[in-house]
Amino acid sequence: MSVWNYVVTAHKPTSVTHSCVGNFTSPQQLNLIVAKCTRIEIHLLTPQGLQPMVDVPIYGRIATLELFRPHNETQDSLFIATERYKFCVLQWDGEKSELLTRAMGDVSDRIGRPTDNGQIGIIDPDCRLIGLHLYDGLFKVIPFDNKGQLKEAFNIRLEELQVLDIKFLYGCVKPTIVVLYQDNKDARHVKTYEVALKDKDFVEGPWSQNNLDNGAGLLIPVPAPLGGVIIIGEETIVYCNANATFKAIPIKQSIIRAYGRVDPDGSRYLLGDNTGILHLLVLTHERERVTGLKIEYLGDTSIASSISYLDNGVVYVGSRFGDSQLVKLNLQADTNGSYVEVLERYVNLGPIVDFCVVDLDRQGQGQVVTCSGAFKDGSLRVVRNGIGINEQASVELQGIKGLWSLKSSFNDPYDMYLVVSFISETRFLAMNMEDELEETEIEGFDAQTQTLFCQNAISDLLIQVTANSVRLVSCTSRELVDQWNAPEGFSVNVASANVSQVLLATGGGHLVYLEIKDSKLVEVKHIQLEHEISCVDLNPIGDNPQYSSLAAVGMWTDISVRILSLPDLELIRKENLGGEIVPRSVLLCTLEGISYLLCAVGDGHLFSFLLSANTGELTDRKKVSLGTQPISLRTFSSKGTTHVFASSDRPTVIYSSNKKLLYSNVNLKEVNHMCPFNTAAIPDSLAIAKEGELSIGTIDDIQKLHIRTIPLNEQARRICHQEQSRTLAFCSFKHNQISIEESEIHYVRLLDHQTLSFCQLILLINMSMAAPSLAVHSRMITMFIIVWEQHMFYLRKTNLQR
Amino acid sequence: MWCEAVRLRERGELRARRFEAVARARRAASLALSNRKEFATPHHGAVNSVQVDLTEGRYLLSGASDGSAAIFDVQNATEYEAGFIAKHRSILLVDKQHENGHKFAVSMAIWYPVDTGLFVTASFDQYVKVWDTNSAQVVMDFKMPGKVYSAAMSPIATTHMLIATGSADVQVRLCDIASGAFTHTLSGHRDGIMSLEWSASSEWILMSGGCDGAIRFWDIRRAGCFCVLDQSRSQLGRRPPFLESTVEKSYSVQQRKGKSNKKPQTLHKSQIPGQGQIQQRLHPGLSTSQNRATAHYGAVTGLRTTTDGMYLLSSGSDSRLRLWDIDSGRNTLVNFEAMRLQTSKPLQLAVTEDPSLVFVPCMASIKAYNLWSGMTFQTLRGHYELVNCCYYSAQEQELFTGSNDRQILVWSPSTPDFTEMEDDDRRQKDFVADEDNWSD
Repeated sequence: MSVWNYVVTAHKPTSVTHSCVGNFTSPQQLNLIVAKCTRIEIHLLTPQGLQPMVDVPIYGRIATLELFRPHNETQDSLFIATERYKFCVLQWDGEKSELLTRAMGDVSDRIGRPTDNGQIGIIDPDCRLIGLHLYDGLFKVIPFDNKGQLKEAFNIRLEELQVLDIKFLYGCVKPTIVVLYQDNKDARHVKTYEVALKDKDFVEGPWSQNNLDNGAGLLIPVPAPLGGVIIIGEETIVYCNANATFKAIPIKQSIIRAYGRVDPDGSRYLLGDNTGILHLLVLTHERERVTGLKIEYLGDTSIASSISYLDNGVVYVGSRFGDSQLVKLNLQADTNGSYVEVLERYVNLGPIVDFCVVDLDRQGQGQVVTCSGAFKDGSLRVVRNGIGINEQASVELQGIKGLWSLKSSFNDPYDMYLVVSFISETRFLAMNMEDELEETEIEGFDAQTQTLFCQNAISDLLIQVTANSVRLVSCTSRELVDQWNAPEGFSVNVASANVSQVLLATGGGHLVYLEIKDSKLVEVKHIQLEHEISCVDLNPIGDNPQYSSLAAVGMWTDISVRILSLPDLELIRKENLGGEIVPRSVLLCTLEGISYLLCAVGDGHLFSFLLSANTGELTDRKKVSLGTQPISLRTFSSKGTTHVFASSDRPTVIYSSNKKLLYSNVNLKEVNHMCPFNTAAIPDSLAIAKEGELSIGTIDDIQKLHIRTIPLNEQARRICHQEQSRTLAFCSFKHNQISIEESEIHYVRLLDHQTLSFCQLILLINMSMAAPSLAVHSRMITMFIIVWEQHMFYLRKTNLQR
Repeated sequence: MWCEAVRLRERGELRARRFEAVARARRAASLALSNRKEFATPHHGAVNSVQVDLTEGRYLLSGASDGSAAIFDVQNATEYEAGFIAKHRSILLVDKQHENGHKFAVSMAIWYPVDTGLFVTASFDQYVKVWDTNSAQVVMDFKMPGKVYSAAMSPIATTHMLIATGSADVQVRLCDIASGAFTHTLSGHRDGIMSLEWSASSEWILMSGGCDGAIRFWDIRRAGCFCVLDQSRSQLGRRPPFLESTVEKSYSVQQRKGKSNKKPQTLHKSQIPGQGQIQQRLHPGLSTSQNRATAHYGAVTGLRTTTDGMYLLSSGSDSRLRLWDIDSGRNTLVNFEAMRLQTSKPLQLAVTEDPSLVFVPCMASIKAYNLWSGMTFQTLRGHYELVNCCYYSAQEQELFTGSNDRQILVWSPSTPDFTEMEDDDRRQKDFVADEDNWSD
């Protein structure tokens, strides 16, 4: 038998390479567009903050991202080029709310050497052409025609050998580029060229500037009417333009990596450097003449790879080395002298330099510990798959056959009682004043038999279904109000109820439907089906949360699930499941506004159907295997959203995301029964019956992956796990700036693998660590091995007592 | 240095391709005579040409003055001497004893670019022969009007299978393997043709260097040559100067102005006949002054394009190396430091793929020059007599050179680590000893 492997992305890319702001989705809406490696995220700016709109995958790594406004249009278009030399122009279709590809193509050349300093893609501010610098010595031009359509691309020879940056100048009669380049003597210059579209060549531009700062690496074109360009160096910032205006200011040595324009007239810019400091650059001007430059420190952010100024002092700082941030620039400095206030952080795992898999509970639910980030944003991240249940309390209880929670009154938001059913008795637990669970009695309930179902009902009643009877008990007096007895010779096998309806099945295929009317149980309908009934459900899925018009019934013998209408119990739809395994649990539920019928069979398979709440029509049948034992299904809610818990030998949480059913495993071994137990003391908790144990626990956020960050403030490079000593070891380093001289400090640290707290630090100074490798010694349990350049170290843990 | 590259790569700041390029460049910069690889040549005369096949990068073809051509496997050694010195013997030899062998010196031996099933030899016996590698038989021959100095096939051609040949005759002849006949003759040179090179970007463009000092560019689909390189024409003033009048004028003014500008601009065009379309309009009747332009004083002995197809290097009997911009056909005026070159023989130059270094046979040594600054980067000494040819294999970053001393030498990246690695082994042994102590 061949083994098939498949690869899925567990976590979408998170490292932000580009971002831009514009009116993309409508002329009135302001959008932030973020490029994350191979994905594009479009956000809408709302008074409440950033609201994600769409997240689209791009086939290829995004190399350039630019927004532009074509002639005679009110909305921006998006130009994307990928590292494999494909490009596209995207536009937003407001009617269908989807992206529209306006143009696409290939801009690769057969030969040519890819540029050293990355691809450059720029668009003329007057939208006459797109310029691309993809290969050394060539500048590719894609002209626009009068209607804004793209014409055939052509190459122009660019003699400059080492191009560092190219930008279009504003306010030029002909499209003009400014090129920052380095000559073969390592001196840096800028030069301008006009693009002559007709001749497909350059014309020498209006000005040039030789011998700039040796670290000059970034050009910022200044919009009209000021015009010109700002050249960012490592030690100076220079402004020059065609009128031979030349202004320069010295700056503290730093490498500016990203800039963002604040004002549309281009008088203020945000600059982010490689240590994560945000600066404000101000161009002082008198009318249309630039009189000077000013730079101010704003504060610390993540190391920025892109800066987008949104509105009202809110700035998006995209980062490749740390978490991207949404920051607010305040008018007043805080106590640390920082004007930056972080509003929101967006988790970024990249760059993942190394990782190890740690399986703590030996449940096959490993977690990944990654060395993420770089420089000051370095961190360890613990990525865990599945949903965790954190046990809060547990008692030893053998032989639990069922579990339900009850509220003390119908409108009480919290649960009060926990009904635990055993083979020949039923026990009641209640929260007392000290928030402890203690055994109690509900007089009206039958405690001497096994309970089949329990439920709060309308008008402050409680329903208990046992093999012989259905009991209605008042919440306040706890006394029996009404009772329905099973006919002589029949006992109730399965039952289900909601707040106003009860459906039960007795032997011989009898199905009885009761309704609660005026605190009385009224038998509304009784039918006999041709086979025995294995499970029933009437969870309301329609508009009325108190009354269901549909019931689901699972059958023995013909292995089918049937949808019956209520109250007349007429067959609407019969779906044969196939196979020989009897359905053991059915559930009608609504997740994210979509109704589903879930049906679990005895061998751990689960069928899901889309259910039309009005007609009872079943569509989109799907089958998944969750475990090997019978599954029982139950809904619960967490943070106001409904999810489904499937108890079996591999307990699973079923939830809906993006209108798709997702299955996430739970960090528990085997669960027999589960019911939500939302108490005031532990809100949103679950009561879980395991083998010989009843426990109460809280559940994580319902999502696929959970990421925990351990900030290091230094860059971790290698990590490894040793199970025997319960530790993780990692190597990291840090730049240490003492006065001018820069030195690196290298560390090896030990972490406890459960709590992830630091337990030991080994300092290694003055080692140039090229590529260390770290391994666990196979025989000696207290040892890590580090291979460091040409030396090999053994680390022995002596003072690590556990 | 390379630690930093590894770190940058780890952080994703350096793209994979760039990282590779950095590593290749570092290796190329550390070339030294290989102390692990040797070729045992069967040649009894000067080695005139060496080339590694373009498909696998595995088989080295050499041609020598004794009329022989040989093939070596550069990856798998025939035997090992002293345990680790790989000795490569020829796996195929065709010489005068062969029934169809060349009678006189083989001046050029080249691989068929598409696979290793064919190779082509050009000889002073006025023949160009096409050989079947597997059977070692001549499948086709072409008789030339004089000594053949040079033969070249386009590595990128998909629509033609032409061998361009240069001989003591003034014409470049194109031999078609498909039909076994001459398809074209290209006339223009006033003397024999010593070197030929196909363009790396267009399969129709051929470049030829003659003993008359001219380098001519031919488009083989058209008659005549379309460009003659002129050593005195530099990049300076290639672009039409910026027209002062177009600055700081509003659109409306400009549109009116636009018309009046047209005239001066067309004037510019006719003044720069170095340019693509314009040149083609000009030939075949290239202005006589241009037609007489020379690239070198004396003969052009070697031509080589860079792998990106942007630049052409030429060597001349005036002991000069020149770097030309192919697109504009202008001299870049890179001043390569003083050298002495052989004057009477075609030379085979080699360029690294970045292109940062050019290897030039300078008498008995090979000089590596920085392509952009023209500075001598390194002088490779090892041959005892004049060096004729060098070939740089981008795959392994190795340089192969052939000389009058009948040897083919291999220059490999001298990984600094060879000796250090031995040290490492020793060190590791020490640690092994430690480990044993510990585990007690």
